Parts: sequence; C-alpha cells; structure tokens
Amino acid sequence: MMPSREGARIALAVAAALALGFAVMACVSDQPWAAFRALLTGPLPSIDHTADGRVVVHRLVRFGAWLQDATTLTLVGLAIAIPFRARQFSLGADGQLFMGALAAAAVSLALGDVPAALPLAFLAAAAAAATWGLLPGLLKTRFEANEIVTTLMLNVVAVQIYRLVVGRVLNDPTAGFITTPPLPDAATLAPLIARTTVTAMVLVAPVAVAAALFLLRRTTLGYEIDLAGANPWFAARAGVPVARATMVAFALGGAFAGLAGFHVSNALLKRLPVDLTPGIGLEGIVVALLARGRVGALPLAALGYAYLRVGAQAMERATDVPREVVLVIQALIILFVVSDRLAPLALGLLRRVRASMGRRTA
Amino acid sequence: MTPAIAPPLAIALEDVEKRYPNGTLANSGVSFTVAAGEIHALVGENGAGKSTVMKMLYGLERPTAGILRLHGRRVDFHHPGDAIAAGVGLVAQHLNLVPSLTVAENVVLGHEPRRPGGRLDRTAAAVRVRELVEQSGLAVDPAATVASLPVGVRQRVEILKVLHRGARILLLDEPTAVLTPPETATLFATLRQLADAGRTILVITHKLDEVRALADGVTVLCQGRVTGSARMAALDEGALSRLMVGGDVPAPPVRRATRTHAPPRVVARDLGYVDDDGAVRLRDVGLDVAPGEILGIAGVEGNGQDVLARLLSGAAVPSAGEARLDGRVFTGLSPRAVRAQGVAVVTEDRLHDGAAPTLSIVDNLLATRYTRPPLSRRGLIDRGAARRWAQAVIDGFGVRAAGPHQPMGALSGGNMQKLILAREIADAPAFLIASQPTRGVDIAAASALHARLAALRDQGAAILLISADLDELLALSDRIAVLYRGRIVARFAAGAVDARTLGLHMTGLGPTVDGGDHDAVA
Amino acid sequence: MSLDLVAAGTVAAMMAAATLRAAAPIIFASLGGLISELAGCINVALEGVMLVAAFAGVITSAYSALWFPDAPLWLHPWLGCAAGLLAGTALAGLLAVFHLELGADLIVAGIGLNILAQGLTVLLMAHLTGDKGSTASLTSFALPSLRWAGLGDVPVLGVLLNGDGDAGHNVLVYGAMAATGWVAWALRHTVLGLRLRAAGENAEAALAAGLPVKRLRYAGLLLSGLLASGGGVFLGMGYLTLFQADMAAGRGYLALAAVFLGGRRPLGTVAAALVFGGATVMAARLGLLAVPSEVVFMIPPLVTIAALVLVKQHQRLAARRRAAAGRAALISP
Repeated sequence: MMPSREGARIALAVAAALALGFAVMACVSDQPWAAFRALLTGPLPSIDHTADGRVVVHRLVRFGAWLQDATTLTLVGLAIAIPFRARQFSLGADGQLFMGALAAAAVSLALGDVPAALPLAFLAAAAAAATWGLLPGLLKTRFEANEIVTTLMLNVVAVQIYRLVVGRVLNDPTAGFITTPPLPDAATLAPLIARTTVTAMVLVAPVAVAAALFLLRRTTLGYEIDLAGANPWFAARAGVPVARATMVAFALGGAFAGLAGFHVSNALLKRLPVDLTPGIGLEGIVVALLARGRVGALPLAALGYAYLRVGAQAMERATDVPREVVLVIQALIILFVVSDRLAPLALGLLRRVRASMGRRTA
Repeated sequence: MTPAIAPPLAIALEDVEKRYPNGTLANSGVSFTVAAGEIHALVGENGAGKSTVMKMLYGLERPTAGILRLHGRRVDFHHPGDAIAAGVGLVAQHLNLVPSLTVAENVVLGHEPRRPGGRLDRTAAAVRVRELVEQSGLAVDPAATVASLPVGVRQRVEILKVLHRGARILLLDEPTAVLTPPETATLFATLRQLADAGRTILVITHKLDEVRALADGVTVLCQGRVTGSARMAALDEGALSRLMVGGDVPAPPVRRATRTHAPPRVVARDLGYVDDDGAVRLRDVGLDVAPGEILGIAGVEGNGQDVLARLLSGAAVPSAGEARLDGRVFTGLSPRAVRAQGVAVVTEDRLHDGAAPTLSIVDNLLATRYTRPPLSRRGLIDRGAARRWAQAVIDGFGVRAAGPHQPMGALSGGNMQKLILAREIADAPAFLIASQPTRGVDIAAASALHARLAALRDQGAAILLISADLDELLALSDRIAVLYRGRIVARFAAGAVDARTLGLHMTGLGPTVDGGDHDAVA
Repeated sequence: MSLDLVAAGTVAAMMAAATLRAAAPIIFASLGGLISELAGCINVALEGVMLVAAFAGVITSAYSALWFPDAPLWLHPWLGCAAGLLAGTALAGLLAVFHLELGADLIVAGIGLNILAQGLTVLLMAHLTGDKGSTASLTSFALPSLRWAGLGDVPVLGVLLNGDGDAGHNVLVYGAMAATGWVAWALRHTVLGLRLRAAGENAEAALAAGLPVKRLRYAGLLLSGLLASGGGVFLGMGYLTLFQADMAAGRGYLALAAVFLGGRRPLGTVAAALVFGGATVMAARLGLLAVPSEVVFMIPPLVTIAALVLVKQHQRLAARRRAAAGRAALISP
C-alpha cells in the first residue's frame, strides 16, 4: 500500500493545484464560486426526500460517468505504468486505445448477433492494441528508437487509421453523421446501474489491476521486466532476455489500453463515431503519476482524477468556465506531484514564517 | 622550537564532523594537520570517511561541525569554486574529464582564455598547456581528444587542470588505482617534484607500500574517526600496517603446492575481437584452465581483459576463434545459454552491470537462478523460498545488511561484492570469470572473497581471475598470463614471477614469451 | 534553356521555398532542443513554448494596435514578437525552476507544461475573444517579409528567393537561417558553448572544474525557450496571421525527434528539421490529388519513424563495414 506520507504529499499537491486552478477561474469567470462548487460536487448524486417521504436520487448519470471514466483511466493508467516498470516512457496509450476500440467494433460487426461476439471482441481489442503496443517496443529494442518519439508518432498514425476505417470501411451510410453502425446487442455490455453507462467493465478494471500485480510480483516474466527496468546492463549479463522483457512490457501495456478501447466501443458508445476525441490515453500519465508508479494504487488515483474530470464537465455545462480549466489543473497536478522538493520547501517556508510570527508576538 | 622555524600549516582540521541528512555519520571529531610542502597520506578501509574529508576540503560537502583551516585561515566552502579560489585542487578517483573535448579544453575548462565576444582562445589554451607540461614534466598532447587517451594519461590531464588554476594544495583520491607500476613511479616522481616546489599534497590510498614510498606523514581513519597520525620517519612497515588494520595484515589464502594434471576444462583458441569502429581489441588469445586451477590475467586497464571477459561470458561474439568448456563450444551464445553450460561471471564494475542497486538483495540474488526450481516453478516465483535463500546467503557470507529486502545500493562495496560472488557460485559453476573481484573492497572483505574463490577452486572449478591488483594475482593464481594491446605477451607459473616483472610486460617493455603456445610454462 | 527545364526548375524552387517556410518553426524549435539537450536537459516543453509564444505574439500585436492607435503600424508586430519571445522563454524558465529547484522529472514536467500551455492559451483566448477555436475575430499583425528587388522576372531564382507569390520570405525564415549559423558557431567557438557542452556531457567534471552547472542548465533551457519561441512567433505572425488552438500541432515533438535524428549536431538537426518540413509540404501536395487526407496526415509521423530506423540501420551498416575491415586485419596481421 502507499505509505501515508506519500499519500499526504499527493493530497497536498492536488489541493495546491485546485487552489491555483481556482485562481485562474477567478480571472476568467464572472461566477468563480459557482464554477468551483460545480467542479467539486458535480459527480455526486443528490439525494432528495419528496414531500411524501420517499427518497429520490438525482444526477445518477454523472455518478455513473464518474465510475465509467475511472474504469477507462485505470486501464490506460496500467498502459503507462507497466512499460514504466521496464523504464520505458510510453506515451502510446492513446493510439493503442483507438486500435483496441476499432478492433472490438470490427469484430462485433463482422460476427453479428452471436453469443461469441462479446468475448471475441474483448480478445480482439486486447490483441490488436497489444500488437500496436509492441511496435514501439520493437523499434526500441531493434533500432534504439526513442520510445517517447515513436509512441507519439504512432498515436497520430493510429488515429488516422481509425478515421480511415470508420469513415470509409465500417461507415453506416444511414446514420446522418460519420460513424459505424450500432454494434449488435450480443456484443455490447448492458448497464449494471439503471440510467448510467456503468457496465461489468467497472469490475474488469480492478481484476486487470490484480492480474497485473500478480504478474509483476509473482511471475518470472514480471521479474524480468523489473530487472530490465532497474538495470538493463546487469540484467543482460545475468542472462535475462532484456529485449524480450521490454517488448512484453510494451505489449502488455498495449493490451490494457486495448481493454480501455473495448470499454469505449462495446460498453459506452456501442458504436464508433469518426471524431472520437484523442487524448484520453495521455490522461493515463496523470493517473500513473498520481499512483507514483504503484500498480496497486492505480484504481484509487483513477477514481480521484475521474472525479475531477466529470466535475469539469458539470462545471462547463452550469457556468461560463470552459472545461479547458481542467487542463490547467491537470498540468499543475502533474507539476506539483513530480516536484519532490516542493513539499519540504513549502513546509520549511511555513515554519520560518510561523517562527518569525512567533518572535514578533513574543 | 621557536615559531619562526615551525613550518606553516597548509591544512588543519579541528574536530570536523560530517553527518548526512539521512543520519549517516561519515566523519566525527576528525583533527589532523599537514605542513606546507608536505606529502601526506590519508589511509583507512573503505567507508572509513577518507573521501568525505576530501570532499569537504574541496567544497563538495560542508562539515556539520568543526573547523577547516587552510594556510592558517578559517574557510567555509559552499562550492568547489570557493575551494579553487582558495588554491585547492582535487584529482578525483573517478577521473572528472569531458571525453569529447580536447586535453587543452579540459585543462582550461572553468578558467578559459578568452577573445572578444566571449570566444574561446584555443591558441592561448594550447600554449598554456604546453607551458604547464614543461613545468611539471607531465607529457600530454594538448590537441588530443580525451576519449582517445589511456587512463594514465587522463590522470595527467587531471593534474594539469589543477595546476592551471594555480592550486597550492593538491588532493588526490586513490590516484594509483588505475595505474601500472611504471606509471605509478612517474606519478610519484611528479608529486615529489611538486611538493619540493612548495605545493602541499594530500593523497588517499589503500596501499601500504605507496605510503612508505611517497608520504612524509600519515593519518589513519577508521569508521569516520582518526585512529592514528604519525610522521613516516617514526614508523616501520609493521607499525604502519598495525596502525591501519588494528592488527597484522591477514595472510592471503595458501596457494596449493601441486598442480592437477587433469585435462583442461576450459580451452580457448585464437580468440579475436574487432569492435564497431573496426579496432582490433583482442587477437590470437589462447588459454587453458584446468579443473582446480586459477589462471590470472594481468594487464593495464583497456588492454583487452574486459573484452576477454565479455567474450567468455556471452556478452559479445568473438570475431575469430572459439572457446570450449569440457569439450563443448560456449562462445558466440547468449549469456543465458553460456550460463546454462556452467559458466558464471563476476563483472568488473558491480554498480554498472553486476547488480541492480535499486532492487532488494533478494531480487539481486534471483537474477541468475529465477528460471529454475527451487526458486521458481512453471513461471511462478516462490517468493518465500527466495527470501529464505537470501537470508541464508546473508548469514553464510557474513554480509552486513538489515535484511533480505534491503536495497542492494544501501550496502557497502564489500558486502555488495560478497552477495554478487555468492550469487555467481551458488550453482557450483564449472568455470568462473572473476573480474576485479575485490576492487574498492576493504581488506577484511577482500580476504573473505579470496577464501571463497580458493574454496571454489578446490571443488574443481576452473577460474579466470582478471585483476589490476598484482598482489591479488600473485597470491591466488596458479599461472598468470599478461595481456598487452589485446595479445597475450607473457605467461608465468606462479612463484616464477614478481610484480616488477609483470609490470614490465604489462607496459610492453618485457620480451614476448608467448610464442602462440598455450601452456608455455609448466 | 528549354521551357520544360524552366518549368521543372520553378516547381522545384516552389517546393524548396515552401519547405523552408514549413521547416522554419521546426528549425527554431529543434535548435532550442539541441542546446538544452547538449546542456544535459531534454526539453520536452518545446511544444508548449511554441504555443505560448504564438499566443502572446498574436494577442500582443492585436492589443498593441488597440492600445496605441497612434503608433506607426510597423511597431505592432514587433511588440508582439518581443512579447512572444518573452512569454515562451518564461515558460522554459518555469520548466527550469521545476526541474532544477524543485526536483521534478524533466520529461514529466515538460509534458505537464505542454498541457498547461494548451489549457491556458485556450482559456485566455475564450476569455478575450469568446471563441475557443482561433483569434480570427481579432486583427493581429504579421512580421514583415523581405523581398529581393529586381528578381520578379528571373525565372527559378525569383520563386526560390521571393516565394511563390513574389512577396518575399518572412523575416523569421531568415531568422531561422541566422539562428542555425549562430548556434553552430556558438556551440563550437564560445566559452559559453564549451561550458554548456561540458555541463551536459559530464556534470561532475564540470562541477569539479568549478563551473556553475545549475546556472549553465538554466542558460541552456532559457536559450532553448528563446529559440523555440522564435518558431512559435513565426507560426502566429508569419506562417499564419492568427492564433489557433493547438497551433504547434506536434512541431515541438518533431523538433525533439530532429535533435536525435541529427545526431545531436547543429547541422544534422537542421537537416532533419528540413526533412520534416518537406514531409509537410509533400503531404499538402498529395492532398491536392485524390489521396485520402487520413493517409496524407500519416506521412510526417511515418517519415519520422522511418528516418529513425534508417539512421540506425545506416550507422549499423557503417559499423559492420568497419568491423569487417578490422576482421580482415585480424586474420592477416
């Protein structure tokens, strides 16, 4: 589990980012307080008592949005965190997610309304994204190509392939906008909570985290990934297949991003529009950072971060603050969380101020 | 004694303490003095706090208590720049040069001659370096790129750098660790010349004979405290070594008197290696190692020993020739396949490719055995078994560690090296390649490591011992081969050679006695 | 000279001029990336620096005209340029503070600042113009173009030197060329260049030589910010004459790729930047034909990856040739 000091440090960083975010809102908004309240309470359902004493739950949609966003974020967090165990800075979760979603949709549409469609689409998403994830691994181990550059470039390529296929191959001419036809019912997941998009995938995410933890801690494959990350030269001399371990880490990360893609296509949208927005993959970096690279802490980090994202949507709808303010808060969280010397510095400053105030009063 | 005759003190430490933020106490109550124009040796085991003293004198660390005085004036350095301004120069153990720059650029770095517009005056820099070379007798070509120079020459560049800044006090941290005996002799002559010219020199060293040959005075540190300080004139060698280790020097393990006449386990023929730049790094190397035999490899760093170790351990593929272990070819395979044949390797630089400092002791020990029972089955690692084994190794090898989950990097060099050797001999290898097995390790740990190597030999393993420490080679090896510029230039039976002769061959000054035979000396 | 030759030459000159124009922002940013990389600090925030510089430049030039209506017209773009350079450099300074003072990981902090730049520019644009897409509703200014007089009728040279519409190249296109020369010269021949390289290659050695390594890294990152800002200003006040959301469009990352592709040498880096610029021009050309736009957009990233692979292959083949020559020497001494 995460040591409490580290947890406190991260909470402090998030609080500081929110405070600064609020300052930015106050600059650009006429109703900063309302906006801030919307941001912080948006995802919560409101519970009312009707006049006749019955309990009514409002805004379940947003609560559902929170859980389903946390599901996606946990999976893309895994896609960043696992290659990072091999000290590979993959930024490729975005492209992998698009490939996973595309594969899941294509398999679902090809198979039609048969019971096997669901598991096969699930596997196809994982396999396609793992393959796409393997590419930067191959480029790194075979050609020493910097993975930051290659994953970013492959993201662009993946999004374009996605648009090409959705727009020109899987296109539904009757839809009125560019999209695939609706996926067959047998291939999609039904909501677990009424009026929300929360499906069984909300349970798959923690299972995926547990599986990743088991793999990293208990299997020889996981050990190889750790050793290759900690010291590749040593690993090589000791007889560990470093290149294979690195590629496995990339592919595994890809597989989890692919599941996030499956979640988007077969659980949330149930059809794929051509203009699916890229960028969610990069949010995985924030989640992995908030978890400080600890796989076990990913779901918690994802829940926290998803809360903020859903709150931002509520805020944009309710006030004049664009949701881009969340980009600012996100950036500040990233910066504050990775600034190891920030907290000691701030605390030291605080202590000095308090000391000088104490002197003044004495 | 009247004050007028007493030599002015160049360096004086008074009750200096250094406590690191993590609580480690590196120095405590350290006091000693060095007179101007004196060569003073600072000796002690690894981790005794010698380097910390150097760092404080050079502004790389600040003492947490106590006083530093240079030439009678109290100093408080925040930054090496302060120390340089006060006339202090440091020649660090790991040479601090920028490889892609030229000798002249490295020497003037930080105090560059300039032309208008912030331009570097390369001509003036070269002239300045030539001047310094003439004054000090340290021969170097100012235009050469540092990356192309052997270690001994790089060290001269380092000293020139210090002289360029007009240092009156020179600090040298284990300057002979990378030098051959002739290079060491040259260095000592230079240092004596500099001292005679009025410079003060403080040298860290491990080696008693060097203290004897070089120093005017000596201070011994043990666990961060001064345990003795003396003028050399008042000490004999025995007194000095007792001062250093608190007892007599432990005797090296006894070499076996009889050689086995069994057929060799390891046979290498015509090994050659060409690197990516097309340079021949190893040529026509043939070796035989019998079971129960230690073959020592002597050579100045960079003459092919590292390449030989890499070829024999699967880290590189030979460009020519092959080697067999018990009749089976084992060169040109992957490290894992080589290990599967019974080869084990202690690499030269433990922090670079001998261990993973951020991982635990358990994970470091697992590295060569994690694929097989009892530590793993069907791809699943038995963490309990691994932890128990690690604890057994810690106990069995006398490793000072908090427990099997302590990060490897938190251990001292000696303890780390014990664990590495333990890992490599755990599966009773048929052939062990041990490169610099006791480099930077304190005397007690070194003798423990030597005993383990001897025990492995007695079990019938073939051992290739590559070492820059000639005493170690002479004490342990049954035979010694000398590598020079990628060739074996001489072979000796143990007892038939001394350090001086080895040194001559290591620098290419001895007659070649190899002649292509593989067992020239019986 | 036959007409065909002239026509072919004109097309080639047109492509060359367009490539230069497309490459100029990448050249600026990659030179910046090179300097900080050599000083030992990889600057992932080039993208954000360009965005912020473009935004500040465009907004300042527009507001300058509103605030100082009596000032001469030529002043506004230059005020914008100065503001853009300042803002971009400040962002790089922020990266330096976070990394050097607060111990933040350089890559992650760089990504964080890119996101910050993306968010802040859109937020402020929406606040100032009410539009989240672009500043089209504002009248902003472009920096002047330099036109060689008397080349209007010279066939190939005219197009090359004065561009397709004979309007001349933007002053910052020449700026990119000057920056290339300056960076190449300064890294090799100045004391600062020597010190930056020393601090980047072996910080311990630089520290032991008494160099203020931290200050040198600040210098490297700030210079890198200044240069990349030049690219950003060109985007908003030359390449186009407005600011768009996400206007840098990955050029900062391409610039980083150019540094590695160019072997961390000035001329190699600029050559790689030119290749990337050429790929953009090529993509635009193909877009005029019936090639799907999706395929066209894949070209620059694929060229980048292919180039990384080819450079490595090339190095490997060269090494293999050298090794083969060495082996021959090994066999016949």
